[in-house]
Amino acid sequence: METLAYVAFGVYTTIILFGGLLAVFSRNLVRALVGLVLTLFGVAGCYLLMAAPFMALMQILIYVAAVSIMIFFAIMLTKPPVGAEEQPGRPWWVVVGCIVAALAPTMLIARVLHVQPLVSHEHPTEIVLMDLGQTFIEPYFLAFELISVILTVAMAGAVLLAFERRQGQ
Amino acid sequence: MTALSMFQLVSLLLLGLGLLGVIWRRSLVGMLISVELMLNGAGLSIVASGQLTAASGTVGHAAALFVMGLAAAEAALVLAIIIVVAKRYGHIESARLRTLRG
Repeated sequence: METLAYVAFGVYTTIILFGGLLAVFSRNLVRALVGLVLTLFGVAGCYLLMAAPFMALMQILIYVAAVSIMIFFAIMLTKPPVGAEEQPGRPWWVVVGCIVAALAPTMLIARVLHVQPLVSHEHPTEIVLMDLGQTFIEPYFLAFELISVILTVAMAGAVLLAFERRQGQ
Repeated sequence: MTALSMFQLVSLLLLGLGLLGVIWRRSLVGMLISVELMLNGAGLSIVASGQLTAASGTVGHAAALFVMGLAAAEAALVLAIIIVVAKRYGHIESARLRTLRG
């Protein structure tokens, strides 16, 4: 059983890595979005491995269904260059600079992880959904309400911004 | 290596890829995709911390759900901003945007 978990973890990590690389380096924006969706599914698989099926479901419902569709609309509604491709070609020092800039904070945190190994349970704790609901309506009630207010304001702001007409037209 | 370290390394990988994408990408949509990668890494890290340590797993779930809600709100706003930029300038390349006046 333990070996199976490691195999599943390896498969999910491969999916995440492949999808992430596709999302970052694919020149075609639609392909990059497909890479992002792959990564999101890989992360959902990781949630399943951690005995959090509810989070996996939410990941697929919120990220894969809602956020990806929104990004797809962004790609469609903005007049992309031919074939939704970005401009090619960068000088080598920009490439090296990008990689160093991204690696610096990552390596710093990875070093901390290496020096100070995390104490971990071998088996994840099971969460009863009723407890989660109780958390949302009792100690974190204000945060729960605020997040819905933030979503409403963001939606209203998005509609207002998108309907804006250019002056003089 | 403990299970928690493995999940944290995966989320760190997502953070690194997202950072690289934000710097590397030329269009605003590409940068939005990279930001979503980073937010996913954050969610994964939070849930792993809740599930695999003595900390409360319920709070981990709740925090990750808040992150997802914020990501959805952020994606909606950025979509609107991208549409406005595309309408006004005819392109969405970040390097060619000189002014952001209202």
